[in-house]
Amino acid sequence: MAEPELTYEQAVERLEEIIRRLDSGEAGLRETLDLVREGRALIDLCAAELDEVSKGLEEVQLDELIERLEKQAPGGPADDA
Amino acid sequence: MDEPEAGPPGIEGVDLAGPFPVGRYASRLKEFLRGVERVQVFGELFNLRYSKTRAYFELRDGNGALPCAIWRNRLDALGLPEDALADGVQLVLAGGPDYYPGSRTASPGFSFDVTDLRIAGEGDLLAQLERLRRQLGEEGLFEPQKELELPLLPRTIGVVTGESGKARDDILAGLQRRGWEGKIVWAFAPVQDRHAAPRITEALQELSALDEVEAIIVARGGGSLADLFAFCDETLCRTVAMLRVPVISSVGHHSDRTLIDDVAAVACSTPTHAAEAVVRVVVPDEWASLAASARSLDRRSRAGVATRVRALGALARVPGEQLRRHRRDLHQRAREIRASAGRATLADRELTQRRAVVLRRKALAAAGPETEARRRALAAIAAALDGADPKAVMARGYAIVEDLAGEPVTSAQEARAQERVALRFSDGEVAAKIEPDG
Repeated sequence: MAEPELTYEQAVERLEEIIRRLDSGEAGLRETLDLVREGRALIDLCAAELDEVSKGLEEVQLDELIERLEKQAPGGPADDA
Repeated sequence: MDEPEAGPPGIEGVDLAGPFPVGRYASRLKEFLRGVERVQVFGELFNLRYSKTRAYFELRDGNGALPCAIWRNRLDALGLPEDALADGVQLVLAGGPDYYPGSRTASPGFSFDVTDLRIAGEGDLLAQLERLRRQLGEEGLFEPQKELELPLLPRTIGVVTGESGKARDDILAGLQRRGWEGKIVWAFAPVQDRHAAPRITEALQELSALDEVEAIIVARGGGSLADLFAFCDETLCRTVAMLRVPVISSVGHHSDRTLIDDVAAVACSTPTHAAEAVVRVVVPDEWASLAASARSLDRRSRAGVATRVRALGALARVPGEQLRRHRRDLHQRAREIRASAGRATLADRELTQRRAVVLRRKALAAAGPETEARRRALAAIAAALDGADPKAVMARGYAIVEDLAGEPVTSAQEARAQERVALRFSDGEVAAKIEPDG
């Protein structure tokens, strides 16, 4: 996507705006098709965001997470180049 | 204590009297302490609590502290207002050391037995705290956190709290109430001793250095203000003020604000509230409202196209040259729309189906009470998106009537003007002949 990534909040807001615009009946055919396409992409984005917080609680401890990240960090003994 | 009773022999090589039975030693200790000279002491009161017969508290200053006890009838006789003995109040006490020797089942304890008490003014510690609060406020350090944007639906939340504290359960309960099942990064730190402030500060810095962490809760279940002083630490508060990630404090004291409450983005009274402040929406409700948006988008898309078709039909009834010109335009536009809609819907449809399959698989893989609701919402989204496809409409038994030029025939009147037409079904085209009206 060329445009900057939207937050969930922004996506929901834009989706509501699109539905309002379509409701107004002022959009021409081309705009209607464009808006519908954009709306579908937004629904998709929102569903993906919701899915991220619906797939079961994941709990990690900071110490373990940092340890894991340090192992993966470039510049570690395995990654020396 | 010079005649040891019958008991085990002493430790070899140790040149001390005894061994004495501990109970006898404990009651001698009590007598000894009660014989120590009675005095007056002053300091700040903290952590007042009551038993049936006595009131207990600590008297503190910058260099030390004393556990104190006073008989309730003696305290009541002083006639103090109900909230006079708040944390931090400066007191002058009269009394002396006492020792409760305990028993086989009761724990022993040392206390300063208070026989009289006078309130001497607001405590130094609290005054010090007020000075620091004013200073941080003047430096503008209460503002930066409030200017950060709190995400509506964070994927990853950092939490700093005591490992065994009730706060942890309360946060989980709050998140569960929101139906939120994202990722939590726990940073366990002591929350009340003198090591607390530096450890909390360090945990906050490490959490905020992780890209994925979108908000941080600092929680503690409650306690006396003395224990809460860790959350008034100057370095800790300055660190919070400058973090790029919003901090939600829930240090849990109803009457006194800790300094971290002032510098944090949001201050909450309980860890459960903090959890609800971090995730401000109910996830299953969001699924439902997203499904509703998908349905209304679909409805409007169909209604919008139908309106255009009617408008084009009206234009087509304009006579003469205009009619021919509009018909030419109409042809062109109809072809374009069909072509682009066909391409778009086909591509969109494939994409939608693929996404629906992925989402459905994810939804089924996840456990939890919301799974069924989520599956229904996803099905509604997929159905709504499918419904927008003209091919799906035709599959339900509709056909498009076209003239030989491939232009849609949208009224009986237009059909009567044709000899032959084509009927386009979802699975192919059939030629048809128009019978003259009987």
